[in-house]
Amino acid sequence: MALGKEQMKTLYRNLVRADHFDKMMMNRIMQGKLIGFYHPGDGAMAAGVGASTFLGENDILNPHHRAHGMAYMAGKGIDVGRYLAEHTGKADGCCGGRSSFHWSFPEQKVYGASGFIGWHFCPVVGWGWASKRKGNQVVLMASGDGSYGQGGAHEAMLSAMNWKLPIIFFCENNGMAIHSTADDMHPMPDISSLAQGYGMPAVVIDGQDVFAVAETVIAARKHALAGKGPTFVEAKTVRLREHDVGTPDLARAEPRDPEYLEELKQRDPLVLATKRVLAEKVLTQKQIDKIIKEAEEEVVVVEKFADDSPIALPSIEELQAGVYA
Amino acid sequence: MSEVRELPLVEAIKEAYQQEMERDESVFMVGQDIAGGIFPHTMGLVEQFGTDRIVDTPLAEVGMYGTAFGAAMEGFKPIVDFMFAGFFLNAASPILAQTAQFRFIHGSQMSLPMVITGACGSGMRLGNEHAMLVHNMIAQVPGIKVCMPSTPYDAKGLMISAIRDPNPVAFIWHLGTMMDRGPVPEEAYEVPLGVAEVKREGSDITLVANGIQYKNAVEVADKLEGDISVEIIDPRSVSPLDIDTILKSVDKTGRLVIVDESWDSRSTASQIAAQVVDVGFDMLDAPIRRVCIPDIPLPGGHMEPYVAPNPDAIEAAVRDVCQ
Ligand SMILES: Cc1ncc(C[n+]2csc(CCOP(=O)(O)OP(=O)(O)O)c2C)c(N)n1
Ligand SMILES: [Mg+2]
Repeated sequence: MALGKEQMKTLYRNLVRADHFDKMMMNRIMQGKLIGFYHPGDGAMAAGVGASTFLGENDILNPHHRAHGMAYMAGKGIDVGRYLAEHTGKADGCCGGRSSFHWSFPEQKVYGASGFIGWHFCPVVGWGWASKRKGNQVVLMASGDGSYGQGGAHEAMLSAMNWKLPIIFFCENNGMAIHSTADDMHPMPDISSLAQGYGMPAVVIDGQDVFAVAETVIAARKHALAGKGPTFVEAKTVRLREHDVGTPDLARAEPRDPEYLEELKQRDPLVLATKRVLAEKVLTQKQIDKIIKEAEEEVVVVEKFADDSPIALPSIEELQAGVYA
Repeated sequence: MSEVRELPLVEAIKEAYQQEMERDESVFMVGQDIAGGIFPHTMGLVEQFGTDRIVDTPLAEVGMYGTAFGAAMEGFKPIVDFMFAGFFLNAASPILAQTAQFRFIHGSQMSLPMVITGACGSGMRLGNEHAMLVHNMIAQVPGIKVCMPSTPYDAKGLMISAIRDPNPVAFIWHLGTMMDRGPVPEEAYEVPLGVAEVKREGSDITLVANGIQYKNAVEVADKLEGDISVEIIDPRSVSPLDIDTILKSVDKTGRLVIVDESWDSRSTASQIAAQVVDVGFDMLDAPIRRVCIPDIPLPGGHMEPYVAPNPDAIEAAVRDVCQ
């Protein structure tokens, strides 16, 4: 189903915003103004934006770890100020400043990040089960090619298909997991070929094309809401930089080929999207400039909110009071 | 005797791998991204030993650990690297329910020589999952040994002992000690498992600490010098635990503070306290103090420095016991 112009505008704006947020995070980690690490998402923000922008309010979202979820925030209306405050250990952080990068917004049904890659393959079964019981909601579970090494992926897909759970298994395949290539770590070129064994419908799409991703996820969501069960969506994307800022950028033990990386940069999602919105007269250059300016302003507001918030230094007693409900 | 060269702790671990792999063909490493290297302890090993012995696996802790588990039964001596030690929890059932208890329950017929390793600990503010020290979770289970080095010398010697030991041994190392430099002899040597060391002699109080907390203990002892004479014991292994060395010291000092970067309840600290009270109640001139993580998940953010054991907390405990 083709997207409407308004939908394309929204996607374009969210892509610009996500790109600015990623750059903001990059700048901050370089300046030592972020706690923990940062796994940059530049050149790979379209998949998350496309997948999350048209989620429903009741839908459950598990963002992919890359870019620390920044690509997935727009659709869920995440307060990026409170997110950044969390990532900087501030009192106004979404988890009171105690989680480092393990943020969550349970009210928006973003139940939380974990540092254990693939952790979500366990709760996703219950997210799907509960969504089916309740009706009118689906689960978007995003993760990377690497995460499908986890045995839990099998268990999740098994129950999801047995019970026809409304889950979208959204895989961002960037061909890498730290220094390991997907070619070395998976016997088949497409991660989504795993879905075959369960009879789960699967599609492979261009993760650099924010519009294609959105169209596909909208369709998968409809399929799930109609009670037809899960879909596997594999978005092919790229990793332009090192795994996390400061580590060497290797494939196995060798530096990644700069020419190859240069080639990957040619398919920048923002460049592709800009071409299309201009060609199809969805947006004018003037409107685009305005969107960019607004994104820049939003970053200023977000950073100011986080920076103005006091450092979270609760007492041990206060912390103890938070362990049990 | 010629001057012994100094190495950072990670390099000491790496040298242990290299020397044991050269010595014994059956030793190999399995892990994620160890060929490229996440921490420097595996960097360059793949050039030296090839992909048959430096084995990268998919992002799959169970399968990765399974390589070690099964191969150990077939006579290999695996070193399985979990990167961040907390990730061992993904393979906790084969490690704790099977491997550790396997030999005993199957009539003590076979041994499972292997090293389970990973880095962890406070200092980087990464939050509970990456920072969480797992030594006590593993040490709860009989059949698997657990050690944690505090110095480069011990790191190399303990790793060599761990590789040569016929049992599963968890070698947990603290990220905060990674680049600590210290003398490391070039030849291969063993630091025995299950043997503590008096690292600094003193007469007023016994202070037990390992990993990064050993450094904090030294800092406190230096600060208190001339005022309180602190004897520092590094347990080196937490299972089996060398309680005799600790008791001998407490017999001399009459006072005991134990630092353990772990939850307080059911920790090595509480275990040492219990054993000292059992056997050495009459030696004590003051209550034992434990400096641990209170029973809350270790937060990241700016809270880690004061929630995890730290020099101020150690000093306060020492002063409290000595007043
Ligand atoms: C259980 C677990 N094992 C290993 C790691 C270390 N680790 C962090 S990210 C990562 C690679 C993830 O690859 P992928 O899922 O493809 O996402 P990408 O980083 O490529 O976006 C690994 C191995 C981890 N965090 N958790
Ligand atoms: Mg990947």
